[in-house]
Amino acid sequence: MSKPQGFNVKERAKSALQDEFLIDAVKFTTERLKNGKKAATAEHGNWEEWRERGRQIRAHTVAHLDYYLSRFIENARAQGVHVHFASEGKDAARIAMDIAKHRGAKSVVKSKSMVSEEVHINEAFEKIGIESIESDLGEYIIQLANEPPSHIIIPAIHKNRRQIAELLSKEAGETLPPETKVLAGFARRKLRDKFLEADIGLTGCNFGIAETGTVVIFENEGNARMVSTVPKIQITLMGMERLIPSWDDLEVMATLLPRSATGQRMTMYMSGITGPRREEDGDGPEEMHIIIVDNGRSLQLGDPDFQELLNCIRCGACLNACPVYRHIGGHSYPGTYSGPIGAVLTPALNKNAEEWHDIANASSLCGACYEACPVKIPLHDMLVYLRNRKVERGVTAPGEKMAMKGFKMLMGNHAWFEHAVKAGQLGQKLLVRDGVIKSRIGPLGGWTAYRHIPALPGKSFREQWTKLSSEAEKSFKPMADEMKSRMEKIVQERTKGGHRA
Amino acid sequence: MTKSDPEFLARLTRESLEAEKRFIGNIASRLGRSVTGPAPVHPYRGAPDFWTAFELGIEDKIERFMENWRAAGGYPERIASMSELPEAIYRIAKEQHARSTIRQNLPELERLELASVLPELSHHAWNGGDPEDSLDICEQSDIGIVLADHAVAYTGTIVVTSSADKGRSVSLLPNVLVAVIPAERMLTRLGEAMKEIASVPAERFPAGAHFISGPSRSSDIENDLTIGVHGPGAAYALIVG
Repeated sequence: MSKPQGFNVKERAKSALQDEFLIDAVKFTTERLKNGKKAATAEHGNWEEWRERGRQIRAHTVAHLDYYLSRFIENARAQGVHVHFASEGKDAARIAMDIAKHRGAKSVVKSKSMVSEEVHINEAFEKIGIESIESDLGEYIIQLANEPPSHIIIPAIHKNRRQIAELLSKEAGETLPPETKVLAGFARRKLRDKFLEADIGLTGCNFGIAETGTVVIFENEGNARMVSTVPKIQITLMGMERLIPSWDDLEVMATLLPRSATGQRMTMYMSGITGPRREEDGDGPEEMHIIIVDNGRSLQLGDPDFQELLNCIRCGACLNACPVYRHIGGHSYPGTYSGPIGAVLTPALNKNAEEWHDIANASSLCGACYEACPVKIPLHDMLVYLRNRKVERGVTAPGEKMAMKGFKMLMGNHAWFEHAVKAGQLGQKLLVRDGVIKSRIGPLGGWTAYRHIPALPGKSFREQWTKLSSEAEKSFKPMADEMKSRMEKIVQERTKGGHRA
Repeated sequence: MTKSDPEFLARLTRESLEAEKRFIGNIASRLGRSVTGPAPVHPYRGAPDFWTAFELGIEDKIERFMENWRAAGGYPERIASMSELPEAIYRIAKEQHARSTIRQNLPELERLELASVLPELSHHAWNGGDPEDSLDICEQSDIGIVLADHAVAYTGTIVVTSSADKGRSVSLLPNVLVAVIPAERMLTRLGEAMKEIASVPAERFPAGAHFISGPSRSSDIENDLTIGVHGPGAAYALIVG
């Protein structure tokens, strides 16, 4: 798969920032989705109560995941599903290939599944000569371009219609005009044939309902319905944490997910698939397999800082809200998931300290992701925990490490600190223009490459303190008891990791 | 293509049961349990209380449903009785240049006697007993006619479940969807429809439960809205009563 080149997030972001269309498209699309969400949540009302209920349900399910997953498996098996377990991505690919080879399958049609990107299922099928076709329009386009998705909801966000026309023309063997209707019409005809001739349909899973063993899929195009209706065999890849206890809980998820993802009251289709076709049914798969995938997820269980990551319902709202994602686009992030959720999830799933170093920095810690999250995952806190762990493990950039060491030394010695401030006030005179430092040389280069540093004031805060403190004393009012006890309660209740559920 | 060999499936089952122990055991131990306990108390089940108390009157429900269906790009209509259905279908066929219909094999739709009332179109009914043929016919039909199990006003959604007589393909493969909704099946909230589905016993539980809220759509090409990407591009909702 070709992605923008570059070893780390800074280099990839630089190459993304040179692509004007990408920048405009990402901004436009994220803005559209963000505004859509805003309107849809306002129209629905009581959004905070829905969010809180969503968080409660997800936290409760994850805290009792062993129980709910066992019920799901039991009920799915009772309806005739073959359930499989994949500890790692490659296990999931192996099981899927095992089934495909046994059935002598020649082609697979796929609907959108982020887990399938995680386990690189297309490459696995291709290696053994089985055609694997993405049927979501956006996914189909980027598959033709041989690129990974750049947005969880709109995967081809970075392609313009001329590029799309070129890709589809190659497929059609004739020149197609860059008109949406024509291009979509071609894709519909082409993919309709693929649905009808495919041996296996492969889907993802938005939610697994424990009480009935049902796989729930949200979509707008109808391709997931095609994939789970026409081929004889259905294989569903499901992240092991996708569960909800009951159909009652699905109402909450159906309220949160479409509104948060695209600002829709409801996606055009929501399908609950419970086992293969019944004996007397005329359509639906004759055989159904569900592959339950861990691939690093269980590492978050019992980790007080990161268990809540598993509450994620993959809506993409945090991407649209994130000022960093909106500038650099999805391909600047390593791994399958981009944006704030990707920044935390990718290293967490890979237990890779080197990547923590890289991607945890691609955030301004502004908390917009938390505000946007329909199940209230404190992603910005998690980014801080990540940075923390990276420092503990000693994978900090040498310059930053040196700066932190110096900071520690200065802070430990009052006299050195005062000397340093004085030296700074004098030394900066060479660099300050219009009250800021713009120079990109020396130890500050890593900062000033992206922003200006305000000049040090003539008098330090400490030097001004005597005057300031007497002013502050005069206006000081003690905190009201009621407010104080409320604040303390909030701090007390803010337990990490959903163990409260 | 062959059917899966029972021996192959038996091997997969053996492997699955083995792996399950390790897989669930690992989750339990990460959560600090040595064995998976009995059903936990689920104090947050379903929507918040203020919401489950919300219910609209029948006229408000119909109005809200029609508004939502239209906003999603669908065509809602209201007719007085089932006897007006053939005329509506005829009008839709003309609008959409359609020549053929396929319907669920249900008595309510059979009683319309479309073949004799609308002889200018060709008509079929879903036949679960002949799957290959049914799929082919469905693929070539222009209009799919379904009777909704339920409809939900608040989101503008119809619910169709699958059975021998109700192929999933009927609401999916043809270019035009005609959903017939008896007014008394109109609910206020999604949760009401979900309760109905959850109450079906396991041995009669439908393999497919589909919530449909309008025509198939995509905005994957430069955010440009495209209708009818894979599913029906024209979605009619005919509310009866």
